[in-house]
Amino acid sequence: MRIRSQDFATGLLFLAVGVAALWIGADYPMGTPQRPGTGVLPRILAWCLIGTGLLLWLKAVVSDSPRLTSWAWRPAIMITLATVAFALLIDRLGLIATMTVSMTLVALGTAETRWREYVPFALIMIAVGVGLFIYGLGMPIPILPRDVLWK
Amino acid sequence: MEVGTLFSNLALGLSVAITLQNLLWCLAGAVIGTAIGVLPGVGPVATMALLLPVTYLLPAEGALIMLAGIYYGAQYGGSTTAILVNLPGESSSVVTTLDGYQMARQGRAGPALAIAALGSFFAGCVATIAIAIAAPPLTRLAQQFTPPDYFSLMVLGLVFAIVMARGSVLKAFGMVFLGMLLGLAGTDVNTGNTRFTFGIGDLFDGIGFVPLAMGVFGIAEIIANLTNPERRDLVSAKVSGLLPTKDDLKRAIAPVLRGTFLGGLLGILPGGGAILASFSAYTIEKKLSRTPEKFGTGMIEGVAAPESANNAAAQTSFIPMLTLGIPSNAVMAMMIGGMMIHGIIPGPQVMEQRPGLFWGMIVSMWFGNLMLVVLNLPLIGIWVRLLLVPYRLLAIAILFFCCIGVYSLNNSANEVLIITVFGLVGYLFMKLDCEPAPLLLGFLLGPMMEVYMRRAMLLSRGDPWVFVQRPLSLTFLILAGLLLLFVIVPNVRRARETVFQEAN
Amino acid sequence: MRRREFLGLAGGLAGATLTAGLPMRATAQVRNWPERPVKFIIPYAPGGGSDLIGRPWAEKLSQAFGQQFIIENRSGAGGMIGTEAASKAAPDGYTFLMSPSATLTVLPHLRKTPYDPNSFLPVARIGDFVSGFSLHPAVGPKTFKEMVDYAKANPGKLSYGSAGLGTATHLRLEMLKYRAGIDILHVPYRGSADALNDLLPNTVQMMNEINNIPHVKAGKLHLLNINHSTRHPEFPDVPTLTELGYPNSDVPLWYAIMGPAGTPKEIIDKLNAKCLEIAKTEDMQARLKAISAALPVQTPAEILAYRDADSARNAEVIKAANIKLE
Repeated sequence: MRIRSQDFATGLLFLAVGVAALWIGADYPMGTPQRPGTGVLPRILAWCLIGTGLLLWLKAVVSDSPRLTSWAWRPAIMITLATVAFALLIDRLGLIATMTVSMTLVALGTAETRWREYVPFALIMIAVGVGLFIYGLGMPIPILPRDVLWK
Repeated sequence: MEVGTLFSNLALGLSVAITLQNLLWCLAGAVIGTAIGVLPGVGPVATMALLLPVTYLLPAEGALIMLAGIYYGAQYGGSTTAILVNLPGESSSVVTTLDGYQMARQGRAGPALAIAALGSFFAGCVATIAIAIAAPPLTRLAQQFTPPDYFSLMVLGLVFAIVMARGSVLKAFGMVFLGMLLGLAGTDVNTGNTRFTFGIGDLFDGIGFVPLAMGVFGIAEIIANLTNPERRDLVSAKVSGLLPTKDDLKRAIAPVLRGTFLGGLLGILPGGGAILASFSAYTIEKKLSRTPEKFGTGMIEGVAAPESANNAAAQTSFIPMLTLGIPSNAVMAMMIGGMMIHGIIPGPQVMEQRPGLFWGMIVSMWFGNLMLVVLNLPLIGIWVRLLLVPYRLLAIAILFFCCIGVYSLNNSANEVLIITVFGLVGYLFMKLDCEPAPLLLGFLLGPMMEVYMRRAMLLSRGDPWVFVQRPLSLTFLILAGLLLLFVIVPNVRRARETVFQEAN
Repeated sequence: MRRREFLGLAGGLAGATLTAGLPMRATAQVRNWPERPVKFIIPYAPGGGSDLIGRPWAEKLSQAFGQQFIIENRSGAGGMIGTEAASKAAPDGYTFLMSPSATLTVLPHLRKTPYDPNSFLPVARIGDFVSGFSLHPAVGPKTFKEMVDYAKANPGKLSYGSAGLGTATHLRLEMLKYRAGIDILHVPYRGSADALNDLLPNTVQMMNEINNIPHVKAGKLHLLNINHSTRHPEFPDVPTLTELGYPNSDVPLWYAIMGPAGTPKEIIDKLNAKCLEIAKTEDMQARLKAISAALPVQTPAEILAYRDADSARNAEVIKAANIKLE
C-alpha cells in the first residue's frame, strides 16, 4: 500500500467527506416518493463519494500514482492569515489599516519580498483601494478607524 | 414576423439607440461593465445594484441601455482575469481559465484575450439578430421545457463536467460529487430544512459561488505560485505576440460558430440554461477534437468556444425577460427592477406599449458589442503588460482584490473567511492533482438538479416514469448515458489491463 | 465640612450635571435630526419587491429633509440577517428597517428568529402589493367560485406555484385551502419569477403574485379575485376575497418603515409626518400604482394594531396547515 501516493490520499479525502456527510446528515428526512426529503440527495452523494474513494484506494493498490509533494507552509499560512485578518479587521479598523496588515502578511509569505519596493507599492495599492472602491464604487466601508467609532 | 415589420422595428430601434445620449449611456455601461468585470468578485449584480438608484434620474431607455451594457461588458471583462490570473469572477468564466490561463503561462495571453473578445463580439452580434428576428418563437421553444426536462438537462450537464476533466476520470467523478454536496449546504427550498450549515447563520443561504471559485482557483494559485518560482516564471515569461496568428484564427472559427449556436440556444432557457453554455461548448469541442488530450494545456479552441457560448447565452438570456418578464438570472432580475423603477411592468405588453424601448435596447446591444470590441482590443496590450509586474507584488494585489471583491458581494466580512477556507482546500486539491472545475460545475448544477427532481416528482404525484415519458427528458438522459459509457469503458479496459499485467 | 462629605457632594454634583447633560444633548440631537445620512436596511437583495417600494421613498425623503436617505440591501437567511442587523442598530434615528411583512409577521411563526419581531417601532406604512389568485385558462374555470367548485370536484388536481415555503404567497394558498376547504397541491419555487415560468405553460395552474398582472392584462391568465381590502383600480370587475365571502383571508404583502426599539418618539413622529405628506403627492401615488401597489396611510399606533392582527391570522393558518421549517 502506497500511503503517500496521490490516489490513496484523494481516496481518503473522498471517503472522509462521504462518511462525514452520512454522519452529519443521518437525521435528514428521506420523505416520500412524491415529496423526496432533504436527506435523499446528500445520502446518495455520500455513498457515491465513499464508492469513488474506495475505487481510488483499489487503484492505489494495483497501480502507481505520483507521490505527494511537500506543502508550502509559509505562503499557505501567511495567505490564510492575510485573508483572516482582512475579514476580522475590515469592519473594525476600516480599509487603510486592514489593507496595511493584510498586504504585509502576504509580503511576509515569500522570501523574495524586497521591502524597499514593497512600501511604495503598498502605498499605491492603498490609494487605489480607497479611490476605486470607496470613492469610485461608493462601497459602504469605513476608511479610517475613527470612522468606525463615529459610525 | 414579416420582413417589413422587422425592418421598421429595427429602424425604430436604431432611431432610439443612435441618439447621442443613448450612445453615451451605452458606452458608459460598456466601460463600467468591462472595469468591474476585470475586478475579481465585483460582479455585474453588485454594480447594477449600486447604480440602480442612479438610473432613476435617467429616462427609461437610457437606464436600461446602460444596465444592459454593464452586463455584457462584464462578460468581456470577466474573461480577462480568468485568462491572466486564473480568477473566474463568474460561473461563465470558470471554463475559460482551463485553457486561457495555460495560454497566458505560455506567454500567449494576448492571442487568448483577442480570441475571447472577437469570439464574444461575433456571438453577441449573432445573438442580437436572433433576439430581433425570433424572440417570440424562441420563447415558445423555451416553454416546452418542464421540470423533468430540466432535471435531465442538468444530469447531462453533470456528465459534461466529467468529460471535461483532463486527468483521472475517477477523481473527476469524486470532484463532481463533492461539488454537489457543497452546493446542497444551506436552506432546502422544498422543506425549509437546513443542511450542513453547522448552525452558522451565514451558511443558511448556502456557500456563495464567487468566494468558492476565488478560493479554489485564485487563492490556491497564489499559494502555489509563491513557493514555486518555476511554475510562476512562466506567467511573466516573455510575451510573444499580442494578436492571434492566422493559424489561431483558422482554428478558432469553427469553435466560435458552434459555441455561438449552442450558447444562444441554452441562453433562452430561463431555468438555468445559460450556466451550461460555456462548458457544454468546451466539452463538445473536446469531443470533436482530434487531440482531446491537449485540452487544458492551452488550446485556443478551449478559449474560443466557451467565450462565444457564454456571450451568446448572455445576450439571448434577455429573451425570456423581454417577452415574458421572467428573469433567468440575478442580472435579469436587476434589469426588471430597473424597468419597474421606471413604472414599466415587464411582460408581454412591453413590446407593444414601449416599442421604442424594446427595439432600442436590442439595437443598442449591437452598438455595445461593437464598442466593447473596439475598447478591449487595444486594452490587451495593457493587460498583458500587467503580467510583467513581479509576482511577489502581483500576488498582493490579487489577494487584495479577491478579499474586497468578496466583501462587496454582501458587505459581509464572513464571506471573506469562506475564501480563506477554500483557498486552503484548493491548494490541497492541487497537491492531490484534483481539478477544481468539475467541483464548481457540480456545485452549480447539483442543487438545481435536486430542485427539478423534486419538483418533477411533486408534479407527477410521485411517479418516477415522467423522466422517460417526456421525449426531451428521455433524449437528454440517453445522451448522458452514452457519453458516460464513452468515458468509463476505455478506463475500465485500461484498468483491467494493468491488473492483468501485474498479475502476470 | 469634612473632606469626605465634600467629595461626596462634589461627586453627586458632577453626577447630576452628567445625567442632566446627557438628555439635553440628546434632545438637541433629536431636534436637529437628520444631521447625517439616514440608512434604511432592506433585508433582501436589490431589485426585489422591497426595493421597488423602498427606493421611491428613499428618494422623496432625501428631497424632503435635504439629507441623504440611503438604502442598504442586506439579504440572507430569508430576510433574517438584515432584520437582525436593524434590530441591533443604535436606536438613534439613523438606521431603520424597511420591512416586508414577511420577516415580522410570518417568519417568527416558522423559525426561531434572531430578533424580536415585536420590538420594532413602526414609523410608516409605505405600500402594499396588490394581486389575486390567477388561473391558467386551459383549466376551465373563469371565476373564483368556479375554481372552488372545480377544486372540490377534483381534489389535489390543481397545482399552485409559490415564491417559496413560508412566504406570503404560500400562506395565501394555505389560507384559501383552510377557509374554502379545498385541496390544491403546493409547489414551492425559488422566487416568484421561477413559478411564473411554470405557470405560463400550465405546468402549475395557479399563482398569486404581482408578476401575474401583466399576463392577466395580456389575456394569458384569468384573475379570479383580489387579495386586498379594496378592488384593484385596473380590474374593477374582479371582486375582493371579503366580497366573495372569505373575510380576513388576504395575507397582505405590506411594507413599513420600522425603527429599532428605543428610537426616540420625536424622530418617529417627525418621519411619520413627512411620510404622510409624501403619500399624498400625486407623484408618489402614480409611482406605486405603476407597480401594482396600494398606499394605505396609517399612524404608528394603527400600524401596531394592524401588525398584531396580521401576525395572529398568519399564526392561525400556519398552525392549521401544519407548515413547519427546520
